[in-house]
Amino acid sequence: MGNITLKLFGKTLKNPVMNASGTLGYGKEIEPLWGVETLGCYVTKGLSMKPHHGNPLPRIWEERCGMINSIGLQNIGVERFFEEYFPFFKRKKTPIIINFFGFTEDEYIGCAQKIKPDRQIIALEMNLSCPNIKKGGISFGKEADTVYEIVRNVKAVTKIPLLAKLTPEVKNIVEIAVAAYEAGADGLTLINTIPAAVVDVNKRTVPIKGGLSGPVVRSVALRAVYECSKAVPIPVVGVGGIMDTQDAVAFLMAGAHAIQIGTATFIDPYKIPKIIEELREYLDVHGYAGIENIIGITHDQ
Amino acid sequence: MVDTEAQIIENKNVVLDYFLLRLKPAKTMGKIMPGQFVMLKIPGNEVFLRRPFSIYDYDMGILTIMYKVVGKGTELLSKTGKDTLTSVLGPLGNGFHVNQRDAYLTVAGGIGIAGIHFLVKSLKEKASVFFGCSSHIETALLEDIANLNPMVSTLDGSYGYKGNVVEMLKNHLETTENIDREIFVCGPEGMLKNLKTSINKNKISCQALVEERMACGLGLCFGCVKKTIDENEPYKRVCKEGPVFDLWEISL
Ligand SMILES: Cc1cc2nc3c(=O)[nH]c(=O)nc-3n(C[C@H](O)[C@H](O)[C@H](O)COP(=O)(O)OP(=O)(O)OC[C@H]3O[C@@H](n4cnc5c(N)ncnc54)[C@H](O)[C@@H]3O)c2cc1C
Ligand SMILES: Cc1cc2nc3c(=O)[nH]c(=O)nc-3n(C[C@H](O)[C@H](O)[C@H](O)COP(=O)(O)O)c2cc1C
Ligand code: FES
Repeated sequence: MGNITLKLFGKTLKNPVMNASGTLGYGKEIEPLWGVETLGCYVTKGLSMKPHHGNPLPRIWEERCGMINSIGLQNIGVERFFEEYFPFFKRKKTPIIINFFGFTEDEYIGCAQKIKPDRQIIALEMNLSCPNIKKGGISFGKEADTVYEIVRNVKAVTKIPLLAKLTPEVKNIVEIAVAAYEAGADGLTLINTIPAAVVDVNKRTVPIKGGLSGPVVRSVALRAVYECSKAVPIPVVGVGGIMDTQDAVAFLMAGAHAIQIGTATFIDPYKIPKIIEELREYLDVHGYAGIENIIGITHDQ
Repeated sequence: MVDTEAQIIENKNVVLDYFLLRLKPAKTMGKIMPGQFVMLKIPGNEVFLRRPFSIYDYDMGILTIMYKVVGKGTELLSKTGKDTLTSVLGPLGNGFHVNQRDAYLTVAGGIGIAGIHFLVKSLKEKASVFFGCSSHIETALLEDIANLNPMVSTLDGSYGYKGNVVEMLKNHLETTENIDREIFVCGPEGMLKNLKTSINKNKISCQALVEERMACGLGLCFGCVKKTIDENEPYKRVCKEGPVFDLWEISL
């Protein structure tokens, strides 16, 4: 049997498949269908220092091969997460990545400080797509110097490995990736949703502006993973439009150490366990001893 | 709860834009509470997300949905033939709670009947059924509950009470004895708002089935929320904490 376990930040994950932040609730919601212990690692919904109500409606819209969401990061806050949900992951012995955000740099730092190291916490994943209130709503992740500064300052307050999750809405994502690496990021998550809008032609309005996800973003994500994983020596987690095992393999070959599945779960709630099973079969059929043998295989061309 | 393949065994036009879809899921769906719903895959590759539909009926392993054509997904569904395979996920959400009362009043506006039907079927004679629609043509939707003598209002006055269903209900409440009763309602937001204002004085218990655009149906995405009076956590998920809410707790 092909070995799909892998090492990430010194810890062993039983497979390279995670959920994308914000697409598997607080974890418990999927339990009527399958258990979170199936995942290589569970990624939390974006958490903030204080609870956050999120955006008014509409929050979702369908696109041809994807969807637009404007949830606005509704969450119960990092403290309540640790009181109400973390024990559940402890009990299930499921590794976890804490995705977090802030609207000011202090909020990012405060949030990271509140998270105490624990052997089950694999990493913190900082969402750099949030609007920076001080800078008039421009996201933190758009300029290399802002990314450098915030990653460095967060890194200074935590001992937990830090993944920087980047927005693709930038001039040159490789430059941003390098800035995050130089500031001390231990890994990158690529990519977040792509800013998008809808026009209601009948009503002559823009009913929703939000982030685009699903198959329509896949090739954009794949390019980011390919180029950034060649440019920096830290692990990259690939995310964006992965709908099946073929897509998952493509991201691994492009240089991702692990992959996250988001929108696909809404289309088929069993997609994650299916992909995990099929990755094992893929290795067998193609004669690879382990998943690590295909990671970045395209780089050697 | 299951996510299972299902075969369409009938997809028939009832009247106007209303259709009745009968499906045979490959796995049993288990126990279903009236007011619960399913996420249905629209067959073909045109529609990306699944669509939520109330469980109109579930009997002998056959799942029935009543739907109205309102957009791309329901339009395509209406053109889907018998024997087509699709997927259903369900039963989802929290349905209606039938507390011990002296009287149960079920109220539906238009396609809202789809959300109330299973409840009406289980309450049988114990339920008074109020149905509001545009004209007498839509009374065809009541065929299989005709024995319960539904009270009908039509906007054009072509059948029953002339006016909207909330006015008709209000008349009923004013002209009958004030006993311990509960209202179960499903209909458009405007109708719920109207109802809330009209029964505000007596604050009669009322459970409302509400709708919102959904992506997952499972509480994973937080896309389908409804605003409530809870100040700490105003936005509740329709698919997870709902779709049935206490009318007095939601902001309309
Ligand atoms: C819990 C629940 C139970 C439902 N039960 C039924 C039912 O039994 N029968 C039935 O016919 N419909 C029901 N609906 C509504 C149904 O889901 C929508 O009509 C359907 O999703 C529209 O899909 P579409 O692709 O045809 O429309 P779209 O092309 O997506 O949109 C077209 C129009 O439909 C409206 N619309 C889109 N989504 C919804 C929605 N979720 N609710 C109301 N309007 C919407 C849009 O505002 C737009 O005007 C239910 C909805 C929920 C949330
Ligand atoms: C409903 C929804 C909520 C999301 N919430 C978050 C979040 O809280 N934090 C974050 O970093 N990314 C969030 N994302 C982005 C996803 O994690 C992921 O980067 C993106 O959806 C692309 O992957 P996909 O195409 O597989 O969905 C969200 C995406 C969706 C669809
Ligand atoms: S539809 Fe995803 S949370 Fe309700």
